[in-house]
Amino acid sequence: MGIRHAYFMSRTVLVKNNDVEHATRVLNRILGKEEILDQFRRTRYYEKPTQVRRRINYERCKAIYDEDMNRRIQFLMRTNRVEAFPGNM
Amino acid sequence: MLRSSLQLLRSSLPFPNTSSVNSVVANPLALHSRCMHLTSNLFAERRDLRTYRMTMPSKDQTLHGEKSIEIDSVKDKKGMFPDKDTPNRVFDGVLFKELPIFNIKACKNNTIITMSDFKGNVHLTKSCGTCGFKTAKKATNIAAQTTAISISTKALGELGVRTARVRVQGIGPGRMAAIKGLQMGGINIVCITDNTHVSWAPPRARKQRRV
Repeated sequence: MGIRHAYFMSRTVLVKNNDVEHATRVLNRILGKEEILDQFRRTRYYEKPTQVRRRINYERCKAIYDEDMNRRIQFLMRTNRVEAFPGNM
Repeated sequence: MLRSSLQLLRSSLPFPNTSSVNSVVANPLALHSRCMHLTSNLFAERRDLRTYRMTMPSKDQTLHGEKSIEIDSVKDKKGMFPDKDTPNRVFDGVLFKELPIFNIKACKNNTIITMSDFKGNVHLTKSCGTCGFKTAKKATNIAAQTTAISISTKALGELGVRTARVRVQGIGPGRMAAIKGLQMGGINIVCITDNTHVSWAPPRARKQRRV
């Protein structure tokens, strides 16, 4: 029983100029950002309901804090420029 | 605590700062009061287990580049991801979708590499265990690299595989090393894809390890 995704289409990085390390780094970063690896680590062992509750509460608090802090930082760093680094993802 | 009580004793004496001879006579304990440790000071930070566990880095190793925030320009990323034409692109005279595949399974204790054709028929299998590494030595990146080099030389020599796709599964210590080893063994890697089985509604997993 595997996951049904399009093999060699999703979660795939093509290697450019034989630079395997860069390709792997990009792949790992995407997997980390999408929380695929986090979920993998979390589901290797059973997570007790108390642990789930604690984690969810922590994540909630962190999200609220992050949102507020980001707003503050954006406020302090406000400029008249449209975009600081044009052409970046 | 012992020390502080001693200090208290000393300060509560009627004349703490008289001449030295007098003080010695008045307070014989002062001579012998020194830092006392009932347990070794080497593991002072370990005494409180909770803080110790919180400060220790987690055992799960993060993958290279997983947590990093990099700024890649659009130009760098161009052509890095497959599109609808990719399966029919030609690499080294073979269509992308018909290139042989190296499957790497990097688990916690071992790394297994198989080589299959595009239909899924397995032609070669090697693992760290079959390459002469036993027990804990299997779970190292050196073992994974050696295994990858040996399987790639075999694939090059016996089957003439020069260009291949790589499919990795799991986050073991051999994940990165195996990919590198394949390249060192002379295989031209076209793409790397991740095939780690992740479910958001999994069956109940085994209970947590208690170390």
